[in-house]
Amino acid sequence: MTVLPYAVAAWLFGAGLYGIATSRNFIHLVGCLGICQSATYVLLLGLGYRWGGIAPIFYNHPPGTPAVDPVMQALVLTDIVVGATLTALLLVLTIQVHKRGGSLDPETLRPMRGTGTSVTAQGSQDRTGAGSERSAS
Amino acid sequence: MTHFPVALLPLPVAIPLVVCASMLATAHLLPGRMPDILATVTALAVALLSGVIASQATEGPLVYWFGGWEPRDGVHLGIGFSVDAASGWIAAFIGLLYAVTFVFAWGFFARTHGHFQILMLLFLAAMVGFCFTRDMFNLFVWFEVMSVAVFALTAYHLEESALAGAINFTVVNSLAGFLMLGGIGLIYAQSGTLDFEGIAAAVARGGRDPVVAGAFCLVAAALMIKGAIVPFQFWLADAHTVAPSPVSAIFSGAMVSLGLFGLAKVSALVFGGSDQVHRAVPILLMGLGGATALLGGWMALLQRYLKRLLAFSTISHAGIMLTAIGALSLDGTGGMLVYIVGHGLVKGALFMIAGILLATRASVDEIALRGLGRGIGPAGIAMALAGLLLCGLPIGVLDQGTRLVQGALARGGHGVPLAAGVIGAALTGAAVLRAAGRIFLGLGSDPGDEAGAPSADEREKLNRPLWLMLGPCCVLLAADIGLPAELIEHGAPGAAASFLHRAAAGGLAEGPAWLPWLSVAGAITVAAYGLFRRSLPGFVVKPVRATQSAPTQALEALHSGLTGDYVAWLAVGVAAIAGVLAMA
Repeated sequence: MTVLPYAVAAWLFGAGLYGIATSRNFIHLVGCLGICQSATYVLLLGLGYRWGGIAPIFYNHPPGTPAVDPVMQALVLTDIVVGATLTALLLVLTIQVHKRGGSLDPETLRPMRGTGTSVTAQGSQDRTGAGSERSAS
Repeated sequence: MTHFPVALLPLPVAIPLVVCASMLATAHLLPGRMPDILATVTALAVALLSGVIASQATEGPLVYWFGGWEPRDGVHLGIGFSVDAASGWIAAFIGLLYAVTFVFAWGFFARTHGHFQILMLLFLAAMVGFCFTRDMFNLFVWFEVMSVAVFALTAYHLEESALAGAINFTVVNSLAGFLMLGGIGLIYAQSGTLDFEGIAAAVARGGRDPVVAGAFCLVAAALMIKGAIVPFQFWLADAHTVAPSPVSAIFSGAMVSLGLFGLAKVSALVFGGSDQVHRAVPILLMGLGGATALLGGWMALLQRYLKRLLAFSTISHAGIMLTAIGALSLDGTGGMLVYIVGHGLVKGALFMIAGILLATRASVDEIALRGLGRGIGPAGIAMALAGLLLCGLPIGVLDQGTRLVQGALARGGHGVPLAAGVIGAALTGAAVLRAAGRIFLGLGSDPGDEAGAPSADEREKLNRPLWLMLGPCCVLLAADIGLPAELIEHGAPGAAASFLHRAAAGGLAEGPAWLPWLSVAGAITVAAYGLFRRSLPGFVVKPVRATQSAPTQALEALHSGLTGDYVAWLAVGVAAIAGVLAMA
């Protein structure tokens, strides 16, 4: 048992989080999310590892031979599938964002904010005349 | 034990999965309304089956092992479903909510080859699986299936706002998934099994163990992210606001509370044996829950965009549910279960009203819509009623849940979270009542601080008659009010006991009868202040405005809509949970 895999996992997760928090490009952000996810791979493989164990395939080994934990490897496999789905979905969304706004910067794309808001406020004033009341108050 | 054929247990998960797969294969062949009909019938079947299972599970949880891999000599190799009465009833409630939502969305997504129904059925199967499973990794799988289905549903409109909201939602919830998986890995390393009971036994044997505490920290953080608890709540306001209204009804009504349901299950059944977790949970959940209830309520009051207002109201109510879990008692758990159902019914109805406004008035902006709701009076009555129920009008399921939660908190001596819950409920109710007054009665000419809140242009197609939209909404409200009180009074203690795998012990504590009235009075006062600000004397309005505006703008600025900020807050939240656990 060594602390190295856990330290690496924590470092990877932290680095990924820092990357997401400071990202100015959606593709870079998706990459950083992938780094966070690789932290879970390292953690799980580290937890399942047995020194001196074989790969958990007993084709030409007698049962009872020390092997690494196959459950953890199954978890990692599932995790990889999840990761592939998420990356694909996020990249699709990114393409759509670029098609509509022409930008990949998260700062320019905020839900309910940015350019859309002022246009809407204008539109709503025209519709109800609430604008004149607001300026009066 | 009953002679219930346990082989039926996977059906409520399997049926929607099979229907959604076959619909995907044949979608281009199905005639117009077929996907709607199929989806509604499937959801009803899930509700019915889950109800039957729940009624059979009163004597003890029903257990089903996939492929007959039963545990032998304490070694759990198989994956199982274990359904107690509470999980079964919650699944039945979810099925019902879906059926009503499918009727509400009748024909709304007509030109999409049933993709909406397919995603929703996948979402439904994942939620029921999440309720039924007794395996940590299986829990994670359903968590992720749920997430992937909703990411796609959120971005359904493919407009800029929807895309931004969906990306925030996806990034934050994916991180939640990673945290959960890390936690599951840690607990597996310590206990050598993924089965709830097996882990619980290992945890109880182990004593104080930093690995167990770390695992709990990661899993709890993940479920709180799903449950939109401060400081993880940011994604919810964005996602609920931009999602189509039928999807938002499910998000708020079932998905958020399901995250907390999972948290209650995991903290009681899996980590309950660890003294460290047992000491930390009340402090943690009471503190975060109280803060969430207050922040959600306050933010709800500051909104002008009805869906965003309702999203913050959901955050506030999630906080109240969290305090109930934090009580760690039979009373609290029973209260939470009833509260989930009541809140889901009322909040689902409110999002449907938002959908009606989007379809008939092409906006959900409270200020822009002032007085424009006059033609659809029944929707206004439903909205006012839902607002009153939300703040605690003493009638119906939500009120029973509220009183049970308050009783549990009062019995445990948790005065501060109790007060936070009362204030939070009053504030969210006030926000809904104010919006109803403005839209349907044309009151409230002075927009106040709400004018600065974000808004957007959004509309939904008006391709179905008003009664078809209003009907499902009224069904939900009627279910909340009309469900016999005795049924819940008798059912809740047993359901809570079977949820916690404890012996039932008589009735549950109820809070004082005057407390809900206090919430209602508070809500009406605050709503009236918002609507009649202009007619009030200056010495009342000025100080309120002077003290309110700065913190209001600060809070709104905090909800920046930037993924980066949300992720930073997520790190802070995980660190806070870890800190409390380390000190416990």
